[in-house]
Amino acid sequence: MLQKFGLAAVVAALTGIGSSAGAVDCPVKLGAILPVSGPMGQVGERIAETGLFAVEQFNEAGGVLGCPVEYVLRDTQGQSAVGVDAAKSLVDLDGVQALIGAVSSGVSLPVLTSVAVPSKVVQVSCCSSSESFTTLAEEGKTEGYWFRTYATNRSQSAIGAKLTVDSGFRKTAVIYVNTDFGVGLAKRFERDIAKLGGSITSLVAYNESQQSYRAEVTKALEGNPDSLFLVAFPVDGATITREWLSLGGTDNLIVNNSLRSDDYFQAVGSQFLQNMQGYDSAQPRLPSVDSFNEMFEARFEGPPNGPGLHSVYDAVTVVLLAMEASGDITGDSIRDNIRLVTSPDGVEVYPGPEGIARAKELLAEGKTIRYVGATGALSFDGNGDVQAPKMTWKLDGDENVETGYMSTAEVAELIRMLDG
Amino acid sequence: MILQHVADGILSGAVVALGAIGLSFTMKMLRFANFSHSELLTWGAYSALVFVAFFSSFGGFLDRTIGPFSFGASLLLAMPCACIATSMVALLLHRFVFERLSRMAGHMTMVFASFGVALTLRHLVVLIWGSDPIYYSRELQFAILLPGNVRVMPDQVFLLGLTVVVVIALHLFMSRSRAGISMRGVAENPDLARASGVNVDRIVTWVWVIGASGAAIGGVLYGMTVQLRPELGFSLILPLFAAAILGGTGSLYGAVLGGLIVGLSENLSVMVIPTTYKPAVPFLLILAILYFRPEGIFGERSR
Repeated sequence: MLQKFGLAAVVAALTGIGSSAGAVDCPVKLGAILPVSGPMGQVGERIAETGLFAVEQFNEAGGVLGCPVEYVLRDTQGQSAVGVDAAKSLVDLDGVQALIGAVSSGVSLPVLTSVAVPSKVVQVSCCSSSESFTTLAEEGKTEGYWFRTYATNRSQSAIGAKLTVDSGFRKTAVIYVNTDFGVGLAKRFERDIAKLGGSITSLVAYNESQQSYRAEVTKALEGNPDSLFLVAFPVDGATITREWLSLGGTDNLIVNNSLRSDDYFQAVGSQFLQNMQGYDSAQPRLPSVDSFNEMFEARFEGPPNGPGLHSVYDAVTVVLLAMEASGDITGDSIRDNIRLVTSPDGVEVYPGPEGIARAKELLAEGKTIRYVGATGALSFDGNGDVQAPKMTWKLDGDENVETGYMSTAEVAELIRMLDG
Repeated sequence: MILQHVADGILSGAVVALGAIGLSFTMKMLRFANFSHSELLTWGAYSALVFVAFFSSFGGFLDRTIGPFSFGASLLLAMPCACIATSMVALLLHRFVFERLSRMAGHMTMVFASFGVALTLRHLVVLIWGSDPIYYSRELQFAILLPGNVRVMPDQVFLLGLTVVVVIALHLFMSRSRAGISMRGVAENPDLARASGVNVDRIVTWVWVIGASGAAIGGVLYGMTVQLRPELGFSLILPLFAAAILGGTGSLYGAVLGGLIVGLSENLSVMVIPTTYKPAVPFLLILAILYFRPEGIFGERSR
């Protein structure tokens, strides 16, 4: 499989325009560390192919600074040790200045701290969503070399809080799962809802896989909350919801995206959940996304269904555009130019060979551009994070219906307001 | 709110007490810590599911719910059947595992064997009924408001009532019947009891039947007020041991009181410590009782 990719990469590189420019050595190498084998192999292979597709399209538009781009893929097997070795060999032996990947946060994190940052190489992940990266960036430990084109968990508490306050609830109880994910989300929710004018009556953590949550529910009922924000997974979530309702808790429920599941609705009984509301991630509704989907279908004879495909395409394209914009290819200049090619007041450019050719023209004219790609308009904040659109939903009978949609810009605006 | 926590504590304590009675008896009379005892609660609860389905299939009054309760006559009939089925499981385990081992192996071997038995029983439940939660009734019961702003569900009132009935019945059995008195004799001194003409094997059978039936009733009541999960018993193992040790092994009242103390302390603890530390409370109770009164509240100091 790897050999096939390698061959394809070389072919892709050669189909690009081969004229060499003075400033850089041809071909330009772009490293990718993805789990093409191991437990995430099926997902990783599709992501790797889509990354190569993005490189091919860039080469069709003339490559970077007149040089064809070579896509050098290394397998992480989904393991951190293998991933770090792969990244080290890409940086030390192949001399890449930018890494795409990895998929799991558990692999991306050691690669970032022990390879990318010390070697001053940019790392752009398509898929890692952990908030640890945001914390690391806030502490200055990523030195700005870290970016990701996949939304973090940050927006969840913001949307949950907004949904709660917009529904007119002012006294909210929070029951959350006692994991990194749940604790982080609940703490953020507490801050967010205060800013929006709501308040918390109690924050109650629960341990997973307990038989009964009576004590937790009784505790959360203190202070007569008018609503409950529940951060849970379906099985325990159903137990908690049943006990909550039985003990006289309000049926004004706001739930996190994991509870948008038929298992949960059935275990509790849909008839008791008619006042429940929830949120989830949504695909952006933009022409650039449709045009990516069409190009993908034409190339792979199937729609881009699966995690990380849109985001890896954008990760690759943004890095290559930043190389083009900087004029030389070093980790530092890529890092400094990524925000210039996604500038909110730049001229909009779109995915595909024509869009990229247009972007290169604009950059040559010295203009700033805004790449609107497969995941919509990317806007990296100071920590290298992006936002994704969100939707809200409720149950109507047994039917799960969408009640609202927030575009990326609206989500980003909400978070700016809450963090500002 | 304190009254609500007390009510919750008594209710969860009642289930622990039913399970702890059997554990306490086996610990005293068969002289080993049976870690598979908690799985008998699971088996009781799941076997009742089969009998409920069987009796409900006759329709009519069997299939209808009674008054404010979420269950009908089918569950009431299923309960004694579940007791019989669970007792049979316990006796089979005794016959093929524990009795054989007790003849040639030491205490630790018995304890580890009971761990193995516990794993086997739990995974058999997963194999037969799957790992998803199951309910006797999908209907959601709403709590009734009692004076003092305490909310309880009708099913929980039934739970408490039945527990009291079972404890009184056991008390009468232990103090009035010949088998009950012999049982206390065996607990005191098996060799002396045997020399006095007590059929020890018969008594051991009684211990298993009483222990398994208590566990089955506890399991059904738990499944009725919460839900059925294969880990039902496993998650109660610490509270059960805490209650049995706390009350003093071999004592009926000790087990009941121990169960109530465990239930109350678990539920009241959340008023002072974060809910995430609640599962640690039985551990602390075990530590405290072993430190201050290792023989338990009703236990006798061994010579």
